[in-house]
Amino acid sequence: MIDVLIIGGGIAGIETACSLQDMGYETIIVEKEKNIGGHLNDWDTLFPTHRSASEVLAHYTDETRKRALTIYLNTYVVSVKKQDDGTFEVHTSRDVVFRSRAVVLASGYRLFNAERKEEYGYKIYDNVITSADLELKLKHLKGEFKTPSDKIPEKIAFIHCVGSRDEKSGNHYCSKLCCVTAVKQAIHMKQLCPQAEIFCCYMDLRMYGPGFEEMYREAQEKYHIQFIRGRLSEVGENANGTLQLKVEDTLAARPCKIQVDMLVLMVGMEAEKSTELFAQSCGLKCASNRFVQPLDHHIGSNLTNVEGMFTAGTSIGPLSVFDTVNHAKAAAFAVRDYFINMAQ
Amino acid sequence: MDYVAELEKDVRFQEAMNSCLNCGICCAICPAAEFYNYDPRMIVTTVQRRNNDEIEALLKSNTIWYCGQCMSCKTRCPRGNAAGMIIQALRLLSQRCGFFTESEKGRQQYGLKKTIGESILKYGYCVHPKLVKPELHPEQGVIWEWIYNNMEPLYDRVGANLYKDGAGAVRKIHQKNLDELAEIFKVTGAQDLYDSIEDGSRKKAAEMHMSIDDDNNEYLMHVLTYNSNEHQD
Repeated sequence: MIDVLIIGGGIAGIETACSLQDMGYETIIVEKEKNIGGHLNDWDTLFPTHRSASEVLAHYTDETRKRALTIYLNTYVVSVKKQDDGTFEVHTSRDVVFRSRAVVLASGYRLFNAERKEEYGYKIYDNVITSADLELKLKHLKGEFKTPSDKIPEKIAFIHCVGSRDEKSGNHYCSKLCCVTAVKQAIHMKQLCPQAEIFCCYMDLRMYGPGFEEMYREAQEKYHIQFIRGRLSEVGENANGTLQLKVEDTLAARPCKIQVDMLVLMVGMEAEKSTELFAQSCGLKCASNRFVQPLDHHIGSNLTNVEGMFTAGTSIGPLSVFDTVNHAKAAAFAVRDYFINMAQ
Repeated sequence: MDYVAELEKDVRFQEAMNSCLNCGICCAICPAAEFYNYDPRMIVTTVQRRNNDEIEALLKSNTIWYCGQCMSCKTRCPRGNAAGMIIQALRLLSQRCGFFTESEKGRQQYGLKKTIGESILKYGYCVHPKLVKPELHPEQGVIWEWIYNNMEPLYDRVGANLYKDGAGAVRKIHQKNLDELAEIFKVTGAQDLYDSIEDGSRKKAAEMHMSIDDDNNEYLMHVLTYNSNEHQD
């Protein structure tokens, strides 16, 4: 019997494992992918500092090695069963059944599949890409930046809220990180292609974190990014491969058409499908946004309706790296409190 | 009259009016907004403010008549609203209150009522060849005018059964079926709506010193042909 089984080996899972180890508890991490770090593996830079994502990833890889954390890679959880004695039995894609005193869900999120917004032309038109595609492209960029049609872009548009705040996508909630990511990426593109005109089509700019509003202002003043308050209705492709966007400039109250060389869809965050599946297996409550429902939004966001099961990171909803790391540390304290209370 | 209360009774309003976040996606997809000086979002935000005076002004304006009812707005709205359906409720209220005669586009309701509106009850067809009178449809050109004047033999020639008993295209609809249609119009309130369009238009014609009788209908020709050219930027 181990103390804590952690589902997910992204930054939330590793951070929780490190903190629990410091407290003297034995942990194992179960990760469905072939390596740790989750989505951070696919990201180029992080807002608001433009710091390299691999730097943060390296920190967690080092910690994992230094601490000799036990991690099962290529292993996904099938079901979590709470036993009569309060412990957990975790069945995975491996033959072995894990037993633990507590479980931490650090199972993260998945990105919205932009193909579901067919009118935006993702995987239909070559020059429509997602924010995640752009990160990968930038991460592996050698030489000049070119669009998928091999052109140095003169006009680029970023579309906010793709798969967020949208009943038509089934996602009524705000993913909250896409706004600042768009501003970060727009600045990055302007640095790479100084001649390019760059537009951001947004509904509201949710610059909630430290340094975000400053970055937005810099995008306007230093990089001359143009912010158009309107949601994209549809995209068409011109004969020369450029794209035609239809939006309303709501501040001018006029519909307009914009021609661009490349379109970047800011895809939102959704609950990880596997979380939903094993949530069902153990009676874990999910909110209407399909993320795990925290027991108390203000003073118990790591707790769930199942005693002994905790959350860390984006299993409860969209969070930045900053918020994820803090939430993961808090998860370790919540687990410790649980063990201490049980012992009394 | 409490227009908000009236609108809220309309099932289309209940379905289509949730809350607007002013994203503009309806305007961006709207073919009417591309053509006219018109923004469906403004209709939704006006109604959302629930100000009776503003809604009355809307009911008397051209604005609610620009929509072509394609319902593209319904396919896009991230909040599940549909400007086109809210407009249906507004148009009905405008017709009932007689406000439609206050605007150029609203007055055209009379033209619709007199043409396809009466045709359905008279012939059983909204659009029947005999209805497409050349003087009302100059866009159809001289060929249509010739067809119109030689209708009987031409329709015979192509195997139709123009306004005659029996089977075939554009055949005469039996009186029994026409009576049934009239009954449906009565029961559903459509006939009342026709009457209120007729009454409102007659008042307006008198106000504008135009004749509105069947043998000399100046008002009808006016609403069908007049264009102030004030609908675009």
